Amino acid sequence: MNLDQALKTYIEESRELLQEIEDGLLRVEQEADTADTVNAIFRAAHTIKGSAGLFGLDYLVAFTHGVESVLDRVRDGSLGIDAELVALMLECRDHISALVEHAAEGAMTATPELDAGGQTLTTRLNVYLGKQPPATTPAAPEAVEARVEASGGGRVGCDCWHISLRFGRESLRNGMDPLSFLRYLATLGDIVSIETLTDALPAAADMDPEQCYLGYEIKFRSDADKATIEGVFEFALEDSQIHILPPRGRVADYLDMIKALPEDDLRLGEILCRVGSLTEHELQEALGAQAAGAQAEQGEATEPAPIGDILVGAGMVQPELVDAALDKQKQTREHRAQESRVVRVDADKLDRLINLVGELVIAGASTNLIAQRAGMADLLEATSTLSRLVEEVRDSALTLRMVQIGATFSRFQRVVRDVSRELGKEIQLVITGAETELDKTVVEKIGDPLMHLVRNSMDHGIEAPDARVARGKPAQGTLRLNAYHDSGSIVIEVGDDGGGLNRQRILDKAIERGIVQAGQNLSDQEICQLIFEPGFSTAAAVTNLSGRGVGMDVVRKNIEALRGTIEIDSVEGQGTTIRIRLPLTLAIIDGFLVGIGGSSFVIPLEAVAECVELSEADRAASRDRHYLNLRGEVLPFLRLREVFDVDGLPPRRENVVVVQYGKQRAGLVVDELMGEFQTVIKPLGRLFGHIRGIGGSTILGSGEVALILDVPSLVQRTSEREGRALAPPHALSVQ
Amino acid sequence: MVNVERKGDGCAVRIEGEMTIYTAADLKPALLAPLADCRELELDLAQVAEIDTAGLQLLALAKLEAARAGGDLRLINHSDAVRDVLDLCGMVGFFGDPVVIPS
Amino acid sequence: MAKTILIVDDSASLRQVVSIALKGAGYDVIEGCDGKDALAKLNGQKVHLIISDVNMPNMDGITFVKEVKQLPAYKFTPIIMLTTESQEAKKAEGQAAGAKAWVVKPFQPQQMLTAVSKLILP
Repeated sequence: MNLDQALKTYIEESRELLQEIEDGLLRVEQEADTADTVNAIFRAAHTIKGSAGLFGLDYLVAFTHGVESVLDRVRDGSLGIDAELVALMLECRDHISALVEHAAEGAMTATPELDAGGQTLTTRLNVYLGKQPPATTPAAPEAVEARVEASGGGRVGCDCWHISLRFGRESLRNGMDPLSFLRYLATLGDIVSIETLTDALPAAADMDPEQCYLGYEIKFRSDADKATIEGVFEFALEDSQIHILPPRGRVADYLDMIKALPEDDLRLGEILCRVGSLTEHELQEALGAQAAGAQAEQGEATEPAPIGDILVGAGMVQPELVDAALDKQKQTREHRAQESRVVRVDADKLDRLINLVGELVIAGASTNLIAQRAGMADLLEATSTLSRLVEEVRDSALTLRMVQIGATFSRFQRVVRDVSRELGKEIQLVITGAETELDKTVVEKIGDPLMHLVRNSMDHGIEAPDARVARGKPAQGTLRLNAYHDSGSIVIEVGDDGGGLNRQRILDKAIERGIVQAGQNLSDQEICQLIFEPGFSTAAAVTNLSGRGVGMDVVRKNIEALRGTIEIDSVEGQGTTIRIRLPLTLAIIDGFLVGIGGSSFVIPLEAVAECVELSEADRAASRDRHYLNLRGEVLPFLRLREVFDVDGLPPRRENVVVVQYGKQRAGLVVDELMGEFQTVIKPLGRLFGHIRGIGGSTILGSGEVALILDVPSLVQRTSEREGRALAPPHALSVQ
Repeated sequence: MVNVERKGDGCAVRIEGEMTIYTAADLKPALLAPLADCRELELDLAQVAEIDTAGLQLLALAKLEAARAGGDLRLINHSDAVRDVLDLCGMVGFFGDPVVIPS
Repeated sequence: MAKTILIVDDSASLRQVVSIALKGAGYDVIEGCDGKDALAKLNGQKVHLIISDVNMPNMDGITFVKEVKQLPAYKFTPIIMLTTESQEAKKAEGQAAGAKAWVVKPFQPQQMLTAVSKLILP
């Protein structure tokens, strides 16, 4: 059985459940009525444990069991939940998380370190369970088989088991069909002979066809042990009378059984003989003994009572009765956590769907074209309806990839709690807009940059409590995470009510680091943006969290890689808000369409700075050099016609699209400017994956394919060439 | 579903579908009705696709009822499902009908 | 014709493992992620056995068993309840509702197969 895929599901599921546990633990302290939350935490731990067992991850089962037990006591109200217990539970959660990650690597046993860590926590958990550390191992249950053979009564000669079955009347209604048990029994050995007893069938008028009246006497040959054979009828115990006598069993036991069964003794004896479990002689002996016993009741009574391995039936019901009583106590509110109903779909499947929809767009467009050519009005109408529907399908397919940002946000509850303790600051996290949706790929990539911004705000933004009080602010600082949609983008804000950015200090630092020139005139926003420059840091104290001067530039890089932008609002003394603006999805792009010869190319719109016409002078000069003069600025450029080896001669008038990546700019020379449009990105196949300068493809309304330019790599290409070209000294004489 | 066809002194009864706990309540009266005025009952089980304990004990009941009324009930054309169950329970002898075992 | 089993549990990995084990043994499997979902999935089709967890969101196992026992097509269908040693009370509740068989969590796939085989063979 290959469980690799299922194990993956388990790991992913456990990670989610661990997140739920963490969220719950952080929430539970603030709640008046904790029942729902505690129940949700319990259920999550329970599920992690339950599924771990399936994979034989015993170390996970063992540790989680302790956690579950404590949670169960919280759930039934016998244990209160306080800050100390929450802290312990958070530690346990982290340990489970470590175990899960350990399991993710395919380990079937824990490492000694994990074991030791688990042991420490288990000891602390046991305090809540009122358990002493295990000093002595509990005595092994007394071996039943070891009992001394009872006096009196010989043994039967048959080397087979004898099984006697009288099923409960309701068995059939309960779905417990005796035939099923017999079929299963037959898989454990050989049913040598069997008698079906119809004695209990009443007259037709009184017979309820949904009740069970049949009984069975079975001679069964098997190497299975008693527990296994008993196990066959495990689910039929209720209301059923089941006797299992071992091979060469005692005659006395047969006698007990015969007496216990409802049928007439003689008839039963006959049946047992017919089945072959008893010989005529043994039967005579048994019935003879019975007769003797009847004369001397006392003698019979002194014989030790048969141990439970003979009579399985009635006695077993007892525990259930006890349970029913316990049940009443335990009937605490069983609230179900509101868990959104989610279908888990492989991201690849979604991508495939979106790709197919893309194909559908092409097919639709060509149909449309044919309809136009044919000039059939009704066909045109039909195809336009079709293309509208296809567009809707495309949009809803894209929304399938959308997930709420809330899960990403709430992860920071823990970070803020832990970090603020570490820093000795009081910080509360306020989350808004958690239901805002964005593309799953974006969500996955936004976590790290956000982490950096949050830590940065806590470290450098929010002041220490006494400093805050001195400034007339509440001692507790507030960190805000907010998200909302704004004209086709999602905006994520990380805000704090801390000290704000000190522009002068930033500027001084930037000048000191040589990032800007002393005389440069910079706007407020430009100054703020300087903190995203590589190697920039203003923090007076370097902590282990941030402030090492790395990070903020990485944040900007990450955001830009997602085709996003970052801006800062900061009021000195009042706080800072960093606003990240991202495209809703990476699958759709606002493009600028250009033409070269017969081919179309798409330039991502956010990379386009401006468009200019290639002047006659530049055109003439460009045969020798690869830069042009853009209002006094040296602008390296590329002829896309050459880059992509497009056939044909350039038209008389060419255009330059000025693109920008980071601080670098470059011109792309094209034949024709065709305007903006929004399009779905289709990834390139593996065959084209290595081609530099192309990031993907898309389909135009005409059904034609247009390649999407990879601006960063094109810009890089110009600067590489520029580097080579600029090497000879004469090149420096350019304006 | 039960089809009853008169054949002189007797009845030919054909059971189709499943003889299970789900159909037992309907089958019981349908199966017992012909017994009221037929001494000889032939039960064709060729079309019994599924049979469980509930179905088996209805057959047993019919057999016993027929005997009680001084008549006779014969099972014929046992389907695979019926044959399996009769074998499993050692009931072939109880009904005493020849069971055709396919080669 | 293969026998069909419905497995109801909110853990996707549990369903996946049980499903692999059962399919490997020759059963057909339908999955439901909670009681409500399971009722929708049943939708009248023939099912020979139901395996259901107790503790689930939306509709718990006990309610699900009660509901399913009301439906004519499933009122006699055997039901295996997934219980825990800490939920003995739940087991009794499930039995009262009509789930007479049980498997204690955590279990190994083979244990589930054994329990299922007692009630229906593939």
